[in-house]
Amino acid sequence: MNRLGHAEKIWLLLLALTLAGAWLAETGHAGWPLTFVVAGLIAIKGRLVIDHYMAITTAHPRIRRILHGFVTLVPLMVIFSHGWGDVLRRITTLH
Amino acid sequence: MSQEMTAGLRAPEPIGESVPGNRGIWVGIFCVLVEFLLLFCVYFIAKAHHPAAFERGPDQLATVAGVTITLLLLTSGYCMVKAVAAIRRDARRTTLRWVLAALLLGLGYPCVKFFEIRWNVAHGIDGAAGIFYTVYYYLTLNHLVHVSWGLLGLAWVATRTALGVYSSRDYSGLEAAAMYWHGTDVLWLILFPFFYVLR
Repeated sequence: MNRLGHAEKIWLLLLALTLAGAWLAETGHAGWPLTFVVAGLIAIKGRLVIDHYMAITTAHPRIRRILHGFVTLVPLMVIFSHGWGDVLRRITTLH
Repeated sequence: MSQEMTAGLRAPEPIGESVPGNRGIWVGIFCVLVEFLLLFCVYFIAKAHHPAAFERGPDQLATVAGVTITLLLLTSGYCMVKAVAAIRRDARRTTLRWVLAALLLGLGYPCVKFFEIRWNVAHGIDGAAGIFYTVYYYLTLNHLVHVSWGLLGLAWVATRTALGVYSSRDYSGLEAAAMYWHGTDVLWLILFPFFYVLR
């Protein structure tokens, strides 16, 4: 029996997470649980692509840090915008 | 860690020293990341000012289109992983097949987008349908533009692969195209939940 290679496992995991996201899209309601799940999905899927598709774990540290930082910052922005939307609205209102 | 994993997914250079592809492509990738980070700020600011519109917005979009695009991009990206692994073994015909598969799957993106926009317009969802849809069109069409550059890059490296330009000793051009293509993957993995899932 052929065993799945690492690339195939990562690909299947990404597809499974995407289908989980599709299910959430149809059933999810606004709130903290959905916000945390979406932030988690972005962080996990982003890291999977960066670490395994781009093989960035062996790359120059600056490249690695910027890419890892990007997929860490965006989920944090998702959480901040949900919990502190009024703060964001206040500081981005022109009077 | 299996040997296949090492051969297929990890660069052979010493840890901490390699620049996958070439330096030029990373300047481009980081510029795109900065651009989209600013666009994400636009999304969050618009959402903060119009929370009700962003809560209702995803209900009107065709989730199946967003999911299909995600599956196409992830599978196309997987093909490029296999293409890079194949050229490291000097398996040039196999490399060409994987690159062509990546290109064909990637071309599915604009096709799905075409039908999605046609469906949207038929249901009254155009750029003036509300703030959520304005931001949705602005960000997703911007991403489509970057995907188009990626597709042109894949067509270019497919041609050069067919011409036998790349080998296990020099495949930086092929790897650079793969890096850019994976970069567009990462951005779509963020855009998809922003417009189809998050409320």
